[in-house]
Amino acid sequence: MLASFSSANAASAPVMRFSAEQCCLSIAQFHLAYAGKAALRDLTLDIPRHRVTAFIGPSGCGKSTLLRAINRLHDLNESVTHSGHIQLEGQDIHDATMNVTELRQRVGMVFQTPNPFPMSIYENVAFGLRLQQRLPKRKRDDIIEWALTSAALWDEVKDRLHRSAWQLSGGQQQRLVIARTLAIQPDVLLLDEPASALDPISTLKIEELIRNLKSQLTLVLVTHNMQQAARVSDYTAFLQHGELVEYGPTDQVFTNPRLQRTENYITGRTT
Amino acid sequence: MTPPRLPLSRQPLRQLQDRIATGLITAGGIGVLLAILAIGVFLIWETLPLLSFGDALTLSTLSPLAWGTLKAALAAMLFATPIALGAAMYSALFMSSRLRSRIKPTLELMEAIPGVVIGFIAGLLLAPWVERNLTSTLLLIMWLPLSAALAGGLWHLAVARLRKRLPLSLAGIWLIPWLACMAALALWLAPLIEQHWLGGDLRRLLDQRYGLDYATRNALIVGIAMGFAIIPSIYSLAEDALADVPHSLMEGAQALGASRWQALWKVALPTAGPGVFSAVMIGAGRAVGETMIVLMASGNTALFSASPFEGLRSFSASIAIELPEATPGGLTYHLLILAALALFIFTFVVNTLAEVVRQRLRRRYQRLGGAL
Amino acid sequence: MRRLTPRLYNALHSGLWPWLCAACVALSLLMLTALLTLLITRGLGHFWPATLEEVTLVSGDVVIGQPVREAPLPNADSLERLYFTGNRDITGANWRWVAIEDIRHQTVPNDLIRLERSPWGDFLGRLTAVESEGQRLTGQEAWAFVNNTLAKPASQRPAGQLLLTTADGQTLYQSLDSVTHFQTPNAMSWGQKVVTWGQRIWQFLSEGPRAANTGGGVWPAIFGTVLMVILMSVIVTPFGVLAAIYLNEIAHQNRLTHLVRIGVRNLAGVPSIVYGVFGLGVFVYGIGGSIDSWFFSDELPSPTFGTGGLLWASLTLALLTLPVVIVATEEGLARIPDTQREGAVALGATRLETLTRVVLPMATPAILTGMILAVARAAGEVAPLMLVGVAKLAPQMPVDGEFPYLHLERKFMHLGYHLFDTAFHGEDVQAAIPLVFAIALLLVLIVLALNLTAIFLRHYLRRQRGNEC
Repeated sequence: MLASFSSANAASAPVMRFSAEQCCLSIAQFHLAYAGKAALRDLTLDIPRHRVTAFIGPSGCGKSTLLRAINRLHDLNESVTHSGHIQLEGQDIHDATMNVTELRQRVGMVFQTPNPFPMSIYENVAFGLRLQQRLPKRKRDDIIEWALTSAALWDEVKDRLHRSAWQLSGGQQQRLVIARTLAIQPDVLLLDEPASALDPISTLKIEELIRNLKSQLTLVLVTHNMQQAARVSDYTAFLQHGELVEYGPTDQVFTNPRLQRTENYITGRTT
Repeated sequence: MTPPRLPLSRQPLRQLQDRIATGLITAGGIGVLLAILAIGVFLIWETLPLLSFGDALTLSTLSPLAWGTLKAALAAMLFATPIALGAAMYSALFMSSRLRSRIKPTLELMEAIPGVVIGFIAGLLLAPWVERNLTSTLLLIMWLPLSAALAGGLWHLAVARLRKRLPLSLAGIWLIPWLACMAALALWLAPLIEQHWLGGDLRRLLDQRYGLDYATRNALIVGIAMGFAIIPSIYSLAEDALADVPHSLMEGAQALGASRWQALWKVALPTAGPGVFSAVMIGAGRAVGETMIVLMASGNTALFSASPFEGLRSFSASIAIELPEATPGGLTYHLLILAALALFIFTFVVNTLAEVVRQRLRRRYQRLGGAL
Repeated sequence: MRRLTPRLYNALHSGLWPWLCAACVALSLLMLTALLTLLITRGLGHFWPATLEEVTLVSGDVVIGQPVREAPLPNADSLERLYFTGNRDITGANWRWVAIEDIRHQTVPNDLIRLERSPWGDFLGRLTAVESEGQRLTGQEAWAFVNNTLAKPASQRPAGQLLLTTADGQTLYQSLDSVTHFQTPNAMSWGQKVVTWGQRIWQFLSEGPRAANTGGGVWPAIFGTVLMVILMSVIVTPFGVLAAIYLNEIAHQNRLTHLVRIGVRNLAGVPSIVYGVFGLGVFVYGIGGSIDSWFFSDELPSPTFGTGGLLWASLTLALLTLPVVIVATEEGLARIPDTQREGAVALGATRLETLTRVVLPMATPAILTGMILAVARAAGEVAPLMLVGVAKLAPQMPVDGEFPYLHLERKFMHLGYHLFDTAFHGEDVQAAIPLVFAIALLLVLIVLALNLTAIFLRHYLRRQRGNEC
């Protein structure tokens, strides 16, 4: 066991590059630490446009941290320090010219537990729109219908748009949160274990939605569920101890991993 | 079906609004916190001139008041602590949970009764009644605990059917009529006892044999009235501490063969000890600072006397009576502000202590809850 | 025996202590019930038209009065009874003790009347005749005339006087405009008594005090209390919420914030009188004195703002209740899950937008709870007010038709202080006690109602949160 571990470390970090027009997010030598304790170390990877990229790895490996870093959610926490670069369409997200609210409008995020606001379904979807600008009601209604349709929720809620969002089921709430994010038309959608709190049928619906959405935007999915990663993602990155272990097309990572560590994790053997 | 892109038109304005609002909230928040801090600063600042007046005078004026404050608080604590802690132990560990969800808010509501109402009843009704019926009062204080024990004894002897209908978990309710009857019995017996054993008049006896004066408004009255007022705050906090003791601990003790009371005494009470202690401290803080009850029920005579039947005068009552008349900048004014500073420091220290202890306890529970 | 002793000890230990503890709960409840029952019966009973008795004594004296209570005679087996006799202008006292043994007979005649007059308090006796505008009416006509006339306000009544007879046959002339109320309690039916009872409660709530606060109503005190409490909430709510938002949402969560939080919590335990001292020293003498010397120097040395008043009282109580609002709001903010804030932030909301659109709406019930608790505390608080502006009897209401309509510098009346003053500083405390009970009941009802509202609000809030998870 010790031998396989060291052999994995000996292997050079797998870098998979995409050309500039294919690449949506580019992460380079990114370090992040909570109160001096490193959570992400020297991460370098490119995320392709209009594809689903999945981050997998054991709990605490840093995959959610990375996702939150892309949305600069760590800005809220003073004890977080970072170095390195994350570029969105060639622009560094930590750059002084980059406006954080604008970044978050371009990079939507969906969390583990559904978090609809305590308002009506309509107001939930309109929330992000209202922040940006005043739209005529007709236009806003159109966008809301489009967002709910894209999130495969329109048929279920069109008759009760003005009811409380908290009355929806967990799966519907999660799709509402996705619709809410879609309404402000982000380039990237980050999904942090979006189905982990849901029942199997709702999970299937979310997965189908993810596959459908990649024609519109770039998706990054963090998941604990190996089958889910295999089912929905085009590329898979395996992280461990805050480091990128392996990154490649999903088929290759799951059927023919280059490293023993990856294979051990995927097949459920302890490392 | 892709709608047109949204322009980002309001960005700079929103950023600006956010900055301004954050600044304002920060300024407001810090301002409010500073205003609160200003209380302490003001009190210390205003007592500084006293240094120039010489300290012998200060001590002799304030010491009877300090004594009165402590005496009133002590009397109230003697009355309130046993009742409040007993009630807390019972309702946290013996009472049925449905009853508890009703009783606890009711007792906590007691805290809301304004001091001025309690003070009025104590000063104008209770004090003259106790003066007329001193024997009955003292008898009641001794008889009620005994009658509770008697109820317990009778219950153990009673037939199983009766026990089932009057379970211990509801005793907090059905003991009320029992206690009322026992109190009535004590009131009926008191004059007979006074006639037979106390020579007809307890007050005269106290005066002749022990040289104790009896003032209508005295420490006993203050103790009962202020005790009544602080029972709910002690009860509420102590009950929280006891009820939060992890169930697994109690169950573990009972699994080893301890009775419920033993589990309470040996496990729950030591675990929740700091919380109970902090509840008592907070009660003491309230008792020291309470104004209206002492003002109305104590007679306001500045005496150095340990007798529970004599009047007293506390810091808070002196401030309420004398400060409106004191000329600003005069000796009395500064002395009274020194009294207020003493109250402030005492309650602040006591409450901080209680809060720190309570937070430590909360962490301990989290650890225990996580470990077990 | 050796085996029995530990068992007996255990039985005693485990069997008796729980009962003592249970008795503590029972005793607390008993005391609470007793207190509330006392307040309700005595407070509401005050307004009930009490039966008047006419008692003939062995000595030949006749007493008309309302029996109040009985007490054993000193050194004898019999009882004596206290009568409220009124007629202080004639007999010099409102009260008379009568030994039961001395009573030859006692009756309840229907023609006994009870008058409330503005000087001298109550009159108990009989109506002989009415003289008005040269006419002299007796018998049924007199009754009809009196009932008609006294229904009008004093200013619209015709000039005239009542001819009254006391118990011992003395005659008294009472001018019509000095009479405030008129009752013939013994002649009333049950229904009439209930109606009168309701009327008297309404009068208590809507009229001003009379006879040096020992009679009449409490309207100015209710008004003063409500106004002061409203002003206080207007001051305390924004600042308390601001401080709570700062502590919970903006400040770095470090040791200092932790200490500040403990400090704020502890201020809730600082005695109210200390806040009074601060209010007097800083607001009244400090700020008020400065305002006087800058803007009202022509009226010095008589102070305008440099003495206790409505504004200073509201400010002092606002400071006193600030910790209550901060703590309640902070609890509400802390209970909002972070996912809600992150959800808003992830949609591109700024901190201000997150606060105003998501966090504050969700914290509203908690803020309201804090505000109501603060109001409840302020309504019952008396000690600090004694230092910063409450008045025994305020000659002017703090709100009137005179510019600027709201007079922040004026002294005002407060229910709690009115209670204290009536109970302890009146001329005839015995006579005032029934009124004091009524005031105490009113105060307790207000405070309990506010607290219950807060409890139900909090309960509702918790249930709503429970549904969400």
